[in-house]
Amino acid sequence: MRLRYLRRGTQGLGVLLAVFGVTGIGMTHLLFPGLHCYACPLAITVCPIGLMQNLIIAGTVPFYLVGAVATYGLALGRGWCGWFCPFGTVNDLLAFRKVRFRHALSPLKFLVLVGTGVAAWSLADTWFCKLCPAASLTASLPYLGLGVAQVNTPFLVHMGTLAGTLVGMALVSRFWCRYLCPMGAVLSVFNRVSLFGLRLRADRCGQCGLCVQACPMGIEPHRDINSPDCIKCGECVPVCKAGALSIGFSLPGVRGRVPLRAPGASARADRVPPHQ
Amino acid sequence: MALAQEIQLEPVSPEALGGWAQAVLSFRLHPTLSRDVTFAGPALAMAQWGDITLGSHRYAMVLGVRPDGEAGLWVDGDRDGRITPEEAVPGLRGNGRVVWELELLAAPAGGEPYPYPLMVVWPEGRGYVYLVGGAPRRGELVVDGKRVTFVLVDEDLDGVFGTKDDFYAVDVDGDGAIHGDPDGHERFALGEAFTVGTTSFALARVAPSGSWVLLAPTAYVPPKAPLIPGHPAPDFRFSTFPDGKSLALSELKGKVVLLDFWATWCGPCMQELPHLKQVYERFQDQGFEIVGVSLDTSERDLRAVLSSQGIRWPLSFEGKRWDNPVAELYRVYQIPTSFLIDRRGVIRFRDPTGDELERAVAELLAEPRAEEPPPEAPPVALPEVRGPPKPILEVQVPTEVGVLPGGATVLAVKLANTSPYLAEEVRVLIHGSPEGITAPPLEVGDIPPFGERTADLTLTAAEGMAQGNIPITIDILYHYCIGDSCFQMSQAAGTALAIGVAPTAARRAWSPWWLLLLLGVGVVVGWFLWGRGLSGVGLVLLLVAGAALAAGVFFGQSRQAQLIGAVLCTSCVGIEEVHAALPVLSQEARAALAELVRPVHLVVFHAPWCRSCPYAISLVEQMAQASPFVQVELVDAEEEPARAEAAGVSRSGRLVIPAVLVVETSQVLFGTHHLEAQLLALLREAGR
Repeated sequence: MRLRYLRRGTQGLGVLLAVFGVTGIGMTHLLFPGLHCYACPLAITVCPIGLMQNLIIAGTVPFYLVGAVATYGLALGRGWCGWFCPFGTVNDLLAFRKVRFRHALSPLKFLVLVGTGVAAWSLADTWFCKLCPAASLTASLPYLGLGVAQVNTPFLVHMGTLAGTLVGMALVSRFWCRYLCPMGAVLSVFNRVSLFGLRLRADRCGQCGLCVQACPMGIEPHRDINSPDCIKCGECVPVCKAGALSIGFSLPGVRGRVPLRAPGASARADRVPPHQ
Repeated sequence: MALAQEIQLEPVSPEALGGWAQAVLSFRLHPTLSRDVTFAGPALAMAQWGDITLGSHRYAMVLGVRPDGEAGLWVDGDRDGRITPEEAVPGLRGNGRVVWELELLAAPAGGEPYPYPLMVVWPEGRGYVYLVGGAPRRGELVVDGKRVTFVLVDEDLDGVFGTKDDFYAVDVDGDGAIHGDPDGHERFALGEAFTVGTTSFALARVAPSGSWVLLAPTAYVPPKAPLIPGHPAPDFRFSTFPDGKSLALSELKGKVVLLDFWATWCGPCMQELPHLKQVYERFQDQGFEIVGVSLDTSERDLRAVLSSQGIRWPLSFEGKRWDNPVAELYRVYQIPTSFLIDRRGVIRFRDPTGDELERAVAELLAEPRAEEPPPEAPPVALPEVRGPPKPILEVQVPTEVGVLPGGATVLAVKLANTSPYLAEEVRVLIHGSPEGITAPPLEVGDIPPFGERTADLTLTAAEGMAQGNIPITIDILYHYCIGDSCFQMSQAAGTALAIGVAPTAARRAWSPWWLLLLLGVGVVVGWFLWGRGLSGVGLVLLLVAGAALAAGVFFGQSRQAQLIGAVLCTSCVGIEEVHAALPVLSQEARAALAELVRPVHLVVFHAPWCRSCPYAISLVEQMAQASPFVQVELVDAEEEPARAEAAGVSRSGRLVIPAVLVVETSQVLFGTHHLEAQLLALLREAGR
C-alpha cells in the first residue's frame, strides 16, 4: 500500500509540474518526460512528440531531443508512464477493467510514432497534435473555457479522439499506454536497460498469477519482467504473497532482472513449466 | 545656392498624417525574462514577457490572461525591477485583439528624455504583439519662400531618431498631403536626398530625441515619380520574355494597360492568374493589354507556368527577383502589386483584383478621352496592423577569415529562422565588389520555421593582393509570405578578410551524429543482452545520452525547443482551421450551379491572418465563374466589423472566419468543412 501511496504522490507531482504555469513560470526549454501538450495554457515544458514533429519539419538533427529522451528512458524507462505522466494518471483513474494484454496490438504505438514522423516529414505539419487526446484535454478544453477556441472541426476532432480514448480506457485499463501512446513507444525501447525496474526472485515465484491479475497493463510481470510494455507501476509487488517481486533502482544487469523464460534465467527458473 | 537649415520638430499625432507615419513592429513575447524582474500582479493563467527598449531605458512588460479569461498588460513604468498591480495598463478588447495605449519615457544617448506614446496590439492567443508607435515629429523648412512640411519617424521603435530603419517624409509637391507609404514618392531613407523645386537636400544631422534635424543642400537629385492614381506612369523599356522583342510602356499608349508585378512562387499572384486571363480574353480586342513583370529567378519555373497557363501578354523577366529594374522603378516592395494605366498613360487604379479589376478595365475602356482622373481613395484612418516586413533570420558570421593572395577560403554563414514563417529562396552573396575579391552567390534554398542552415560562401582573393584586412559585407536575400502578402527581405552581416593569413582548414559544421548512431546501436545491443553486459551497455548509453544532450545544448537546440514551445499551435487546439491547398470545383457542383435561375449574392468574410480564408474565397470565386447568377463580394471582417457583426460573423468581439453569407436567405456558413456541399445546398435554396 505504501508503494501505491508513493506512486499517487509522484503522479500528483507530475500533474502539478505539467501545469506549473499557474505559478507564473512561462515556457522553459525543458522537455516533459511524458505526453503533455505544450499548447496547454499552463504548460511550462515542451512535449517531446510535439518537438519531434517540429524538428522534422525544420530539418534539425535532434541532439537535444534524443539526448533528453534517452536520459529519461535510461533512468526510468516506462516508469515515467506509471509514476509521472499526467495522461497516464488519467488512464489510471479509469482503470476499472484489467484485461489481458494483446501482444498483437503492441506494435500499434510504434506505428503511431512512425506515422507521426512520416506525416510531419511529408506534410510539414504537426498532425499528431491535431489528434492527440492529451492536447484535447489540456489545451482544447481549457482554451474553449478561456473563450479563445471555437467549436469548429479541429475542436470536434479533438473531442472525438478524446472521447474514443476515454471509452477505450474505461473498457481496457491503461488502453492509451498499452497500444497507442507514441511517447510510451519511445520509452519502451529503454525499458530493459533503464536503472529503475522490477526484480524477481525466481526461487520464490510459485507461478500463482496474482501479479498478472494486479497488472493494469495486463502483462505477465514474472514471465517477461521489465518487458517493453511494463510501465513499472509496481502494482504487482505488494500482491505477491511470496515476496518474489520488488521494484527500485539497480543496474539493469543485476540478478532478478532476468525473466523466467529468458536464455540467461537460472536453472530453477528453467524448470518452471511454461505458461498455459 | 540654398543654405543649410536647422528645422525644429514637434510631436504630431500619426492620425494627422496618415497610416504611414505609424510604425508597426512585430514583437515576440517570451515565457521568461532574461533579467531579474518580479511580477506582483494578480495570478495569471498564462503569462508572456517582453522587454521594450527606448534609448537607454528598458521597460519590462507582462502580458497575461487571468483565470477569468481577461487579458491584461503590466509595464514596469518606473523601471524598479518590480511590476506592481498599479502598473496595469487599461486596454480595449475587440475583433480578436486587445489594444493597450501607454506612454513611456525614451532616453536616447546624447539627447534629452522625451515621452514616447505606444500602442500594444495583441492578436489574442498569440506569442507576439504588435508595437505601434514611431513618435512622428513634424516641422517646416523654407525653400524659395515656400513652407514645406517635414516629418521624421522612428520606424524601428527604438526611441532614438536617426537610427537604422528610421525614415523621413517631405511634402515635396506641396499638395498638403504627404505620400509616405513604403512606395510613396515623398518618403526617404535617412541617407536619401530629396528635391523641392530645383533644390536638393540631404539629412546632415538628426537629434537623437527627434527635436531637430539639420538639412544640408546637396547636388541635384531627380525627384521620385509619384505612383498614385492621377499621375503619369513612369515609362520604361524592356525585352519581352521569351521572344526578346524590345517594348516600351509608352508604345502602348492608346491602350488600357495593367502593369502586374508577380512571381510563380507567390501564391496570391498565382491565385489571381485565372481571373487575369479571363479579363484579358474578354477585353483584349477592345484595347486592353497586360504587362507582366516577373520577379522569378527560375526561368524553368516561369516557362512551365507560361505554357501551362497559356499566358500571351508581354512579360518582363530579368531573373533578378526584386532587383528587376521595373520593380525598382515602381518601388515594389511586396507582391502582388499592380497598376492600371489608362489610354493616356496615367495611373488610374492601384492593385485592382477580382471584380474590381473587371469593372475598372471596362470603365477605362469606355472613356477613351476621359479628362477627369478618378477620385483618390480616402486615406485609411486606422493603422493597418499587419506583420510588417521585418527580418526573420538570425545571421552569424565569423569576425575574420584568412585568405592568401591567389587562394580561396570558405566563409561559414549560419542562418537561423526564428519565426514561424518559411524563409524562401534564401541567397547569400558578397555586397558590392571589393577589389580583388570574388565570390559566386550561394543559393541556400528555403529555411523552414525555426530551422537552421549553414551557407559556405567561397571567397577568392586575386594574385598579388597586399596584406591587410578588408572589411566585407555579406548580403542575405530572401522573401517570406504572411497571409496574402509576400515580402522581399535583405539582411547584412559584416566580417573582415585577412589577406595574407592562411585560411584555417575549411571548417565543416561539426555534427556529432555518431552519438545518435551509438545510442541506436546501444539500444539494439541491449535488447539481446542479459547480466553484466546489459549493465555495461546501460552505463555507456547513459554517457552517450548525456553527451548528446550536452551537444544539443551547445548547438542552441534547447533555445530552439523553447521557441517552438512558445508559439501557440492555434490550429492544433481548435482556434483556427487550416486548408493549405486550394479547392477545385467538382463537376457535380458545376452541374448544380447551371440549374440556378435567380441571382444569389455571397459575401465572404475573411481576414489577412486567416489561413483557411484563401480556400473559401477560391471556392466561392470558382462558383461565381461557373454561374453568372452567383455574385461574390469579399469583406475583410477586420476592416468592416459592423458588417461582420450584422451578419453574425462577429459576436461579442469574437470573429469566426472564413464565413460565407448568403444574402438572400441571411444564412451563414462557417469554416471550410464540406464547404462546397453546404454552399450548394444553400444556393439551390436561394437561387431556384
